[in-house]
Amino acid sequence: MSLRPSVLFVLLGVLPIASTEAAAQTVTERGFADAALYVFPQDAPNDPVNVVGDALVREEVFVKPAAWIQFAAGLDVRANTHDQVEDEWRIDFTDRGVKRPRLSIRRASATLTRGPLTVDIGKQFIRWGKTDIVTPTDRFAPRDFLNVVDSEFLGVTGVRVAVQAASNTFDVAWVPFFTPSRVPLLNQRWTAVPEAAADIPLVDDTAQLPERSQVGVRWSHVATAFEYALSFFDGLNNLPNIDAAVQTVPPAVLVTRIYPRIRTYGADVAVPTRWFTLKGEAAYFTSSSPRTDEYVLYVAQIERQSGEWVIVGGYAGEAVTARRATLTFAPDRGMTRSIVGRASYTIDPIRSVAFETAVRQTGDGFYAKAEYSQARGQHWRATVMSVVIGGQPDDFLGQYSHNSHVEATLRYSF
Amino acid sequence: MSNRIAALIGACRWRLRARCKIDAGRRFQGRQGEAESLAPQILQRASRDSRHIVPVLAVAVFAAFSPVADNARQIVDEAQKRSDAKSQRYEGLLQVFDAKGRISDKRWMFERLGSHGDSKAVLRFTAPAEVKGVALLVVNHPDRASDQWMWTPAIERDRRIALQDRSTRFFGTDFSFEDLEERDVNQYDYSLAGEEAIDGAACWKIVSTPKEAKSSQYTRSIVWVRKDNYAFARIENYAKEQPLRRLNYSDIQNVQGIWTARQLEMADLRRGSRTKLTLDKLEYNVPLKDESFTLQALRRQ
Repeated sequence: MSLRPSVLFVLLGVLPIASTEAAAQTVTERGFADAALYVFPQDAPNDPVNVVGDALVREEVFVKPAAWIQFAAGLDVRANTHDQVEDEWRIDFTDRGVKRPRLSIRRASATLTRGPLTVDIGKQFIRWGKTDIVTPTDRFAPRDFLNVVDSEFLGVTGVRVAVQAASNTFDVAWVPFFTPSRVPLLNQRWTAVPEAAADIPLVDDTAQLPERSQVGVRWSHVATAFEYALSFFDGLNNLPNIDAAVQTVPPAVLVTRIYPRIRTYGADVAVPTRWFTLKGEAAYFTSSSPRTDEYVLYVAQIERQSGEWVIVGGYAGEAVTARRATLTFAPDRGMTRSIVGRASYTIDPIRSVAFETAVRQTGDGFYAKAEYSQARGQHWRATVMSVVIGGQPDDFLGQYSHNSHVEATLRYSF
Repeated sequence: MSNRIAALIGACRWRLRARCKIDAGRRFQGRQGEAESLAPQILQRASRDSRHIVPVLAVAVFAAFSPVADNARQIVDEAQKRSDAKSQRYEGLLQVFDAKGRISDKRWMFERLGSHGDSKAVLRFTAPAEVKGVALLVVNHPDRASDQWMWTPAIERDRRIALQDRSTRFFGTDFSFEDLEERDVNQYDYSLAGEEAIDGAACWKIVSTPKEAKSSQYTRSIVWVRKDNYAFARIENYAKEQPLRRLNYSDIQNVQGIWTARQLEMADLRRGSRTKLTLDKLEYNVPLKDESFTLQALRRQ
């Protein structure tokens, strides 16, 4: 869906008007140009391409015409050598396409502040929860999973109202336009296909994108020795159930993405102790859909900074209370029943290394990332990352065992 | 006493418990004009109760000709009093030199509302480009260690910096997270260790020890306070007997009536690295609002 003129008017047209009225407005911007090269040593059954190039230019501008209002706008421009970006040159606002848009509005929002009240209107990022790698309560944060182990968040369009009263924050989000997570392309390696079925084409039979709105409330409390939050979400899972139908002429499998209605009841907590910070997060997912599982996702992790190290380690678990779905694309659940960890080390002001891993408790699947990053001057940064994935074909992580790869990225920040 | 965010601005700031004490001190100083030679113990007496301001003033005139104070606590009180401001803003240039002398530059915008340990501060990086928007909210408390949250725009999330993590370096600089907070004067014990000149300026040398050892990475600090203007000249922080960090103050100027170091250099004595902070566009008592120092405000870019 392309940009709605009315939305553009509201979100961007107001900006110059307000700006001209402002005497002491502040304008800040940030952005980067990124060139990445992915090298996959192994062929995937459905994808023999071993080298993928990707380019992204991102610019974000923040204008504050007065103390009580701020506008934010961001634009992404993309290119890709492996057909992961749409060919069409149009400005995309909703980010609902199968492929990444060539030109997209990453964010376009206005933030109004009055006393303890903050209202964000427009396309924005809403992040809930405290844990890393798996975040069960983060329900307004769809992701781009064209690369399953290197995903990026997508903005959502809606209204967020936050009221901070002493140590309590009440957060209400209303998102009338649904933004699903972008799932892997069916003809590429991140859609895992058994070798025996590699010759049968998978056809995207479009998605059933519900038009209903989503709402969530969160109450968080910051105490002297700990902080916690309770949240409720009533909306849609941004990760789909999959319907697969066989088509005989021509032979193909028709794949339909269905985004079920869900409710989640969540809680997250962070407790600093003398040795580390203990973080926990859990959400109970229920659904009125007869073909959607009900389950609890939970994460317990510890976090510690020591010297130049930042270390996060924990366990992500799942308890299914009603098993109904047959086929889903659910990286959040796929990462559960796993030991997860992340460690980063700052070598010096310009160099750092980082490691990340998730290992299924059964040993059936794992991934491990190692990253080295070095800056040069004030603008350049080069990053080399190695990702190793292994395991059994019937495991969420293990199914991507052909997708171990090396990634090199050169970024110019401005 | 360890180095704090106040250390970044040229004078450690500890909050006096009773507001009337500060007010009384101000009135006292105002009537005396240049009060730099006044003995701190007299100021302390003056500030005990503002109702007794008139008789105390008479004593203070006499005290102006008496020898300098030898009470460490009162020197620190006086240094705090002289750096009192409702708010502060500056643009900081951070130059990080590692042991091999390589430099990386960072810039931040710093705003603080309140003073002397009962304050809130936000610092937001403005350069280099890759860290633009990264921000730290520090909420200082008079009776305990501060609360700190860091905002990372790349992942759109804030993270509370736990107390035990505050000995780590702040974003690749030689300041630790703990160095970015203020603490109340009452959280420390003081003793006078003598007198010593720093960069040619005569100073009192004061040893401060945190009353609650668990809340600080430093077991003690040595502070040099200049006799001529009560500005801080140097702070050396120790863990047991090992010196960890040394903060030197230089280019001390009178900004809106407050003697402020415009250049600070923090040295990590174990790593051999140092970070130089230069304060540009420094202003005191700028109009800032309380709602700009909240978690909600932190996520505004």
